[in-house]
Amino acid sequence: MSEVGASRAPWDIYRDIEVSFKVNGKEVRVRVKPYERLLDVLRNKLGLLSVKEGCGRGECGSCVVIMNGKLIPTCLTLAVRAEGSEILTLEGIAPEGKLHAIQKALLDTYSMQCGFCFPGVIMASKYLLDKNPDPTEDEIRDALDGNICRCGSYLRFIKAVKLASKYIKEGKVFFDESEVLR
Amino acid sequence: MFRFDVYVPKDLRDALEAFKIYGEGLVPIAGGTDLLVLYRQGIIRFKALLDLWSLRSELSYIKLEDGLVKIGALTTIDELNSSELLKDKRFAGLRDASKTFASPFIRSVATVGGNVGAAHPLSDVAITLLTYDASVKVRSLEGERVIPLRSFFLDKRKTVKRPDELITEVFFSEPPDNASSVFIKLDRKVGHGMGYVAVGVYAELDGDVIKNVRIAFDSMGRAFPERALMTEDALRGMELSERNVDRVVREVLPKEMGRISDYRASAEYRLYLSQVLLKRALLEVGRRVRGE
Amino acid sequence: MSTVPEYYKIVEEVFEKYKDKEFLFVGRYTQRWDSVEKIKGRALFTADFARLYSNLVYVHSVRTKYAHALIKSIDVSEASGYPGVLRIITAKDIPGINDVGYVIPDQPLIADRKVRYVGDIVALVVAENPLVAREAGELINVEYEPLPVITNPLDVVDLMTLKEKPHTLVHDERGSDILVHYKIRRGDVEKAMREADVRVEGVYKTPFQEHAYMEPEASIAIPEPDGSVTVIASTQCPFDVRKAVAKVLGLTLNKVRIVVPAVGGGFGGKEDVANEVAAKAALAAVLTGRPAFAVHTREESIIGHSKRHPMVAWYRHAAKKDGTLLAVEANVVLDGGAYASLGPFVPWRATVHATGPYKVQSARVDVVRVYTNNVYAGAFRGFGNPQVIFAVERQMDLLAEELGMDPVELRLKNILRVGDETVHGQKLTEEHGVGLEEAVMKAVEASNWFELRRRYSEITGPVRKGIGIALFYHGNSIGVEGADYSSVTLIINRDGSVSIRTGLTEFGQGSTWGLALIAAEILGVPPSYFKIENPDTSATPDAGPTVASRATVMGGAATVVAAYKLRKRLNEVASHILGCDPEDIVIRAPDVYCSSDPKRRTRWADVVEQSFWLGVPLQEFGYYRAPRALWDEETGQGAPYITYTFGAIIADVDVDIETGLVKVNKIFTAYDIGKVINRMGAELNAEGGAIQALGYALMEELIHDKEGRVSNPNLSTYYVPTIKDVPEIIPLWVEAKYKKGPLGAKGFGEPSFNAVAAAIANAVAHAIRANVTELPITPERVYMLLKNKQKT
Repeated sequence: MSEVGASRAPWDIYRDIEVSFKVNGKEVRVRVKPYERLLDVLRNKLGLLSVKEGCGRGECGSCVVIMNGKLIPTCLTLAVRAEGSEILTLEGIAPEGKLHAIQKALLDTYSMQCGFCFPGVIMASKYLLDKNPDPTEDEIRDALDGNICRCGSYLRFIKAVKLASKYIKEGKVFFDESEVLR
Repeated sequence: MFRFDVYVPKDLRDALEAFKIYGEGLVPIAGGTDLLVLYRQGIIRFKALLDLWSLRSELSYIKLEDGLVKIGALTTIDELNSSELLKDKRFAGLRDASKTFASPFIRSVATVGGNVGAAHPLSDVAITLLTYDASVKVRSLEGERVIPLRSFFLDKRKTVKRPDELITEVFFSEPPDNASSVFIKLDRKVGHGMGYVAVGVYAELDGDVIKNVRIAFDSMGRAFPERALMTEDALRGMELSERNVDRVVREVLPKEMGRISDYRASAEYRLYLSQVLLKRALLEVGRRVRGE
Repeated sequence: MSTVPEYYKIVEEVFEKYKDKEFLFVGRYTQRWDSVEKIKGRALFTADFARLYSNLVYVHSVRTKYAHALIKSIDVSEASGYPGVLRIITAKDIPGINDVGYVIPDQPLIADRKVRYVGDIVALVVAENPLVAREAGELINVEYEPLPVITNPLDVVDLMTLKEKPHTLVHDERGSDILVHYKIRRGDVEKAMREADVRVEGVYKTPFQEHAYMEPEASIAIPEPDGSVTVIASTQCPFDVRKAVAKVLGLTLNKVRIVVPAVGGGFGGKEDVANEVAAKAALAAVLTGRPAFAVHTREESIIGHSKRHPMVAWYRHAAKKDGTLLAVEANVVLDGGAYASLGPFVPWRATVHATGPYKVQSARVDVVRVYTNNVYAGAFRGFGNPQVIFAVERQMDLLAEELGMDPVELRLKNILRVGDETVHGQKLTEEHGVGLEEAVMKAVEASNWFELRRRYSEITGPVRKGIGIALFYHGNSIGVEGADYSSVTLIINRDGSVSIRTGLTEFGQGSTWGLALIAAEILGVPPSYFKIENPDTSATPDAGPTVASRATVMGGAATVVAAYKLRKRLNEVASHILGCDPEDIVIRAPDVYCSSDPKRRTRWADVVEQSFWLGVPLQEFGYYRAPRALWDEETGQGAPYITYTFGAIIADVDVDIETGLVKVNKIFTAYDIGKVINRMGAELNAEGGAIQALGYALMEELIHDKEGRVSNPNLSTYYVPTIKDVPEIIPLWVEAKYKKGPLGAKGFGEPSFNAVAAAIANAVAHAIRANVTELPITPERVYMLLKNKQKT
C-alpha cells in the first residue's frame, strides 16, 4: 500500500494507492490504482451510481460532481486527485428521505424522460444556484450548456431552475417526497 | 500499455526531478481535459503521469507585478474568467475566451498552461494571449527560459518546450488605458462548440486612430495559432472605420492566410469567415476602447 | 376466422363509452411511476448492475482496421497469453449461428470471412479488467486483404435509373447490393406531367444521423446453473434480443432470459444493436462460466450501432395552376451501410409516405436501399419518413413559389381530409381520425403565419427572418412489416395494489405510463396504485417491439382489453356485495359505491379480498392484434397502416447572412395524436422531438472519409443541440380520435420528430430566398447558397 505520491519503482501500475477524502459528508478511505478515474472509484468502490459515464471525454456532463466547491468532470479526473478533497454527488444533496429544491422543481415541472442525464443536470444546477441564487434564463442556459439531454428536457430545466430558485428564496430547501406533485 | 502509473510531486523541484528519475514516458498532466482525451484515442501513450495538480498552490495566480500581468500556468480558465484583476476593458478578450471555453465543468479544471501547451489551433486562451504578445516561462532542472508565445509553437501539438520542462507562467505587459481586446469564434450552433474559425484582436486607439493592433487566428495556414502580421501592419496608423476595416480585411488578410478544407468546413468558407469575424472583432474592439 | 375478434369489439365499445366523458387520469398531468427514483439517482441502468457481481469479466470488442476487406487469417496466440485475459473469442468459437441480423441473417456477430464496415468485430477479448482487455486486443494480429471501399450510395445505383452499377460487392454472397425496392404505381403520371400547368423538380439530400442517446449500449450476462443465461440489456426489444442470443448460443428460447432495467434513451437506436451486445456478453458468460459485462465507449457506440439512413432523392411534382396536385414522381435512394438492420422496413415506410399527406391523383415512386461500406443504417425515430418529408415539403414550397401561392394555401388545397383517398387508395374515414386541417389552422393562427410570411419577405439587412411550414402524416405501428400484436397482463394483488406486466419497454418516452393511466381510468383506481414491472422475457408477455410509435396505440389497446374484462368481474363482485346492478357500480378507489345510491358503499380493498374468496381471478391477459394491413407490391395500393397521426409544424428563424448561422426562434408544433393519454409524456415528446429534429436540420451529420472511417465519432465533433440551441417550442393539440384505438389514442413517438427539420428548412429558404436542398443547413451551406444565388 503506498501513499499518494510515493512510488517504489519507475513504473508500478499494479500498486494500490490509499486515498482519503470526504464524500457526501462522510470520511472514506479507498485503495485505487494509479490509472483509475474518480468516476470509476465513485461508482464501483463507493457505490455512488448516480455518477454516470456517458462519453468518458468530458463532452456530455453525465459524470459531473462538485469537488472542493467546483463542478468537475469525474471521467477526466484521476482518482488520486481526490486525496483530501470534499466531494458532493447527487446522493448527498439532500438528507435521507428528503428531496432538494432542485429535485422537487424538476419533478413539479414534469421534466423526467429517461433520466440518465439528470444527476449531471442537478449537480450543475446546484453549482449555479449556490453561486447565483437568482439566475436569469441566459445564465441558466450558460450554466447547463455542458449537459447534453438527448431526450430534450432542456426547456423544463430552465423552468425548474427558476422554480427551485423561488423555493430556496422562500426558505424551502428540502422537501418531503410526499410533497411531490403527482 | 493502456494502464499507467502516477507520480504526485511535493513541489516544483520534486516535479522537475521526477523527469530525471522516470525519464521518457513521464508526461505532465494539468487539467487533463486535453491529455486524457488524446490518451483515450490512443494518440498519446505514457508510462506515468506527473500530476501537476499538487503544484496549484505554487503555480496558480494572477498578479500585476513590475508592469507585467503574470498568470500562473495552473490557473484554471474559470479563475481567469472570474479574476477581479482582469475585470476591466483592457482584458475583455481574455474574458470572452474564457467564458466561451468548452463547458462550465471543463473550465473548472482546464488550465492556462495546459491550453498553451496543447498547441492546438483551437486553443482559445492561447490565441488571446498571442494578441497580448505574451511570453511563456518554462522551467527545468537546468533553469528557466522565457519564450515569446509567438515563437512557442512548432506544429500542431508540438512546441519548443523540451519534455523535461514545465510551463510555469505566462506573462505580458500591462496594457495601457486606451486598449481593449476581443475574442470571437463561430461554429454551427449557438451552444458551445470548438469553432470553425477563432480570432483574437487587441488594439490601442488614439482617438479613432489605431495606434497598435495585434490579431491572432486559430490558424494562418499552419496547424497552430498565429498572428496576422501583414494585416496588422496595414491597419496600424489607420482610422478605425468600417470602410477601412472592410478594405484591409478584404484585400490584405487573404494575402497572408491559407486555409485547409476538411470534413468540417472548406478552405473557402474558412477564409471568408475569418474575414467576417475579423471585421466584427475590429469594430467591436473599437467600441470597447471607447467604452461603449 | 370469420367472426370479428372479441378484442376489436371491446376496444370499440370502450371508446364509445368514454368518448364524451370527463377523464380522471387520462389526459391529465401525472407524475411518472419512476420519476422519484430517477430524480434521486437510484434508478439502475444496465451498467449500474456491474458492481453487484464480484467475479465479473469484461468483454472488449476488437474491431477491424479496414472498412472493407477479406480476412485472411487471425492470430490470437499472443493475446490469449496476456496476463489477466481469460479467453479470446473468434467466429469459430460460436456454438450456435454466427448472426445477429434483426430482420434478415446478413450480419455476423464476429466477422469470419470478411469485414464490411469499421465497426465490424474480428474478435472478443474476455478479461478480468477492461483496460487489460483493451491492451490484449492490441496484440491480436489479423491479416487483411483490403477491398475497394464504397462510401457513396450512388456508386452502387444510378439515381435516375435505379439500376445497379458494377462495383466490388459489399454482400457478394447475395449477388447484389440492392437490398429492397418498393414502388407506388397509381394513375397516369406521364399524362399528368404533360397536362400540368407547372412542374418542379429537385434533388434532395439528408445525412447519417446518430442517435446519441446518453446511455451507451451495455449488457451483463449471467450464466445460470441449468445452462441457460440471463442477460440484463439496454434494449427496446427484449424478445428480439432473446431470439438473437438463443440463436448465437444454440439454445431454445426458454433458456434465455432478457431483463430490461432503466434505459437511457433509444430513439430506435436500441432496436437491434442489443442483439449484438447481449450476444457478446452471453457468449463470454457461457464460455467462461462467469458473469460478463459488455459496454460500449461513446466512440464505439457511434461507429458500432445503426444510424438514420441518408437519402438522396429526385422528385418531380406536377400541378394545375389553381394548385391542385396532379402527380408526384420520385426516385429515392437510401444508403443502408454495411448491414440490413431494419433496412428492409425503413424504405417501405418511406415509400408509403413518399408523397406526403396529400391527395395525389397519380404517382410513380421507386425507393431502393443499398449496401455500402458505411456504418450500417437502421431504425431512427421517423424511420424513413423524415427524409421523404424533407423532400416533399421543399417541393411543395417550390410549387407554391412557382404558382405565386402562399405555402399554406397550396397545402390546404391538397391535404387529406375525411373521405379522401390516400395515394395508396386507402379511404380515410371518421374512424381513422383525420385532424390535419385543424392542426394546420392551429399552427397558422398561433404563429401569425400570413402576416409574418409577408413581413419577413420584406426584410433587408444582415439578419434575415423566415417562417416555414411542413406537414406530415405517420402511419401508426408496423403496417405490413410483420404480425402486429401486443399484450399486457394486469394483476390486481391481494392488497389492492396493481401490477402491470408487459414486454413494451420504456427508454424516456414513458409510454408504459400511458398504459397505466388507461388501466387506472377503466378500473377506477388511481395511478399511484400501479407498479410497472421491468420488461422480462421470462415474466412479462411478448408485446411486440417498442418501435413504430405503437406502444400507446397497440399496448394501450391490449390494456383496454385486460382492464375491461377485469372491471366486468370487479363490478360483479361489488354488485354481489352492495346489491345494486353491476352497471351501477362506481369505483373510485379507495371507495366503491352504487351510482344510484351512493350510501351503499364499500372499500376497494374489500372488493379485491372478496374476489379471492369467491374464486374470481383478478389477473387478466390482454391481447390485441391490429387489423391486417394491405399492400400490393407492384402498385403500392392497399391500406398500409391502421391509422395515421397528422401534424403541422411552423418554424420561425433568423439567419445571419454574413456568417450563415441559423438561429431558430420558435417552433409551433400542432399534432393530431387522437386522444391524448399521457399529457406530460406527450408534451415532453413534442419538445424533445423538436429539439432532436433541430439538430438534424442544422448541425448533425456523421461523416465518413473515403476509407469508410468515421471522421467525427464523438460528441464534440458530432454536434447535438445543447440547452443554448433550444428555441421556444409551442405544442398544440388536435384530438381527432382513432375510434379503433385505446380511448381514441394514436401514436406519437416518431411523429414528434418527423416534419420539424422540413419546417426549419422551409423557413431558412424563405429567409435567404434560396433553394435549400440538403441537410444539415450548416453556416457553410447557407454561405454557398447565397454565393451561388449572387452568381445567377
